[in-house]
Amino acid sequence: MKKIIYFDNAATSWPKPVSVYRKMDEFIRKWGANPGRAGHRMAVGAERIIEETRHQTAQFFAIKDYQRIIFTLNCTDSLNIGIKGLLKRGDHVITTYLEHNSVSRPLEGLVKKGIITVTRVNHSEDGFIDLQELNKAFTPQTRLVVIVHGSNVIGSLQPIREIGKISKEKGTIFMVDAAQTAGVIPIDVEKDNIDLLAFPGHKALFGPPGTGGLYVGPRVDLEPWREGGSGVDSEAELQPKELPFKLEGGTINTVGIAGLGAGITFIQKEGIEKIRQHEMELTKYLLEKLSEMRKVIIYDTGDGEMRIGTVSFNVEGLSPAEVGAILDESFGIACRTGLHCAPYTHKKLGTFPEGTVRFSLGYFNTREEVDFAMNSLTQIVA
Amino acid sequence: MQANLNRYSRQILFSEIGEEGQKKLRDSKVVLAGCGALGTVIANNLVRAGIGELKIIDRDFVELNNLQRQILFDEEDVKRNIPKAIAAVEKLKKINSQVKLEAVVADVNFTNVEAVVEGAKLLVDGTDNFEVRFLLNDACVKADIPWIYGSCVGSYGLTMNIIPGKTPCFRCLFETAPLPGMAPTCDTAGVINPIVNIIAAIETAEAIKYLTGKFEALNKDLITIDIWEGSFEKFNIADRRDKFDCPCCKQRKFEFLEAKQGSSITSLCGRNAVQITQKSIGRVDFQELAERLKKSGEVTFNKYLLKFSIDQYEISLFLDSRAIIKGTNDFSVARGLYAKYIGT
Repeated sequence: MKKIIYFDNAATSWPKPVSVYRKMDEFIRKWGANPGRAGHRMAVGAERIIEETRHQTAQFFAIKDYQRIIFTLNCTDSLNIGIKGLLKRGDHVITTYLEHNSVSRPLEGLVKKGIITVTRVNHSEDGFIDLQELNKAFTPQTRLVVIVHGSNVIGSLQPIREIGKISKEKGTIFMVDAAQTAGVIPIDVEKDNIDLLAFPGHKALFGPPGTGGLYVGPRVDLEPWREGGSGVDSEAELQPKELPFKLEGGTINTVGIAGLGAGITFIQKEGIEKIRQHEMELTKYLLEKLSEMRKVIIYDTGDGEMRIGTVSFNVEGLSPAEVGAILDESFGIACRTGLHCAPYTHKKLGTFPEGTVRFSLGYFNTREEVDFAMNSLTQIVA
Repeated sequence: MQANLNRYSRQILFSEIGEEGQKKLRDSKVVLAGCGALGTVIANNLVRAGIGELKIIDRDFVELNNLQRQILFDEEDVKRNIPKAIAAVEKLKKINSQVKLEAVVADVNFTNVEAVVEGAKLLVDGTDNFEVRFLLNDACVKADIPWIYGSCVGSYGLTMNIIPGKTPCFRCLFETAPLPGMAPTCDTAGVINPIVNIIAAIETAEAIKYLTGKFEALNKDLITIDIWEGSFEKFNIADRRDKFDCPCCKQRKFEFLEAKQGSSITSLCGRNAVQITQKSIGRVDFQELAERLKKSGEVTFNKYLLKFSIDQYEISLFLDSRAIIKGTNDFSVARGLYAKYIGT
């Protein structure tokens, strides 16, 4: 098989740093026991590594109380735990048209059941939400503002610090979907006024699929909807009230979390600024090359700074799925096509229902790969 | 219920069957996979002959162009746009109310094929593609259920019996499917009804022999017939099983059942499109396929993809034989279109 060029980092990052593979291999061989469920050395060893990773993850997002980090399956899981654990009958929620289905669907589900109401705030053509409109959207019933940090379609990066400030002033819980940003954009839950931070472990944090996390701030009390074994307070009839046990019923993905820890260590060693800079330089280069190409229509924020390494486009005369299949089949380029689980964004863009071709770049992508991809596209449009 | 055997008097008079054979037929459950040209003829014959139970599985709906050869359907069925399995059972009930009939409207695939063949004394093939036959072969060999293979295209047809452990199996003869797009299908090369009737009649005869316990009378060869050229041939295949280390019946590796071979199908993010990917990769010859398809619909191709429009559907086929089928979200419809026009 020819070498693959992986441009699908917004779905999950690949490859992972070698240290992640090694850590997971070592962990499952040495510490494959169930953490916190027994006193034997393997269980204790497993728990130590999980708690170290919890601590490390908390520090990464400037979280003071590390037990407020809950390990989850992925960002969708985190968003569901947050949204469904928080909202009560009669609550009002403010969100945007840029959301992924992992926010839109839990909200729409609650709307359909008549439990909540939702207001979606518009965004500008370059993908930034209208802060004035946001300000006006609050009602006395507004309990939650939930916003995607980086758009997984057009790449725009929302000013979460400002939004968090507005939210805090209004006395509303602020939840950030950091699916595309955790690991590449610095996030400080204190400074950014974030109450709930949902993040995947397997994207820019370099953990394996099946890992994610949720930060639960002190202003928030979530109802657990997954109850069960916690390893503590087993005599109690109900789920323990203490975090993280309250929201972490059942055996967690220990080997994945160990890998996530190694991923975060990698970022800390390389430096998040260096990672960000590499991705931005490459994205800029990709956009330059794409814009020179005939028959290519780019759907992008256009902003050079407030953005992430995700670029959407279409090729005249071909559907996105066809372009993706040719790139994969004839050139070995892996990318994502379609709606990217963000139908509202595509409706606004006018690219619904076929969607777009999306190149999402990561730290391990190179200029040579971008050149190869552009060369391939040139042949396809010829 | 004791079925009335009088209606079968002419068949009972045939000494090779007799009353004993008729009773054996009555106690038999047969599964018919595919209820199109071959399938309707076989179902008609078997139900009239008085088998006890027939399960018919088919994913398609009756269309006007079926009536030329699919004998259980009529114009009313086309108007009602009903599934073939249902239409067939309705008709067969009127023909012989003593037979227990079951219609299953579904695509046969690796997730359900074992349940489809379960409990059958015999399976008869009325399908239209290689992949499903490999699946049926895996399931039947694994469960030790004999099956009768039959297929037709143009004026040509072939059939053979597969008795697990005794005769070569389907994979002993066809190790892999032909490359997608490289073999003619009834929807690209056409088919005339006499060859359908002949192959289906042979399949029925073999079924009756097997079900009545006349194993020594069973055909042991691969029979091929071209009714236009007038060629009738029998190929001795008895030694195939000894000469070939068959992955299925010798090594008992059921690669199609375990989805290690065959195609996989996914719904594409976006409206109304499905992608079918083949596990074993070969290169499609667009030129040759386009030549075949141009009689059925609009076809264009370049270096990277071939586009074919038929009715409300559009098939984009890529070099590694993956296809994006637009105009449906229904996996059965997509698989059906792939089998009919690309073929495997």
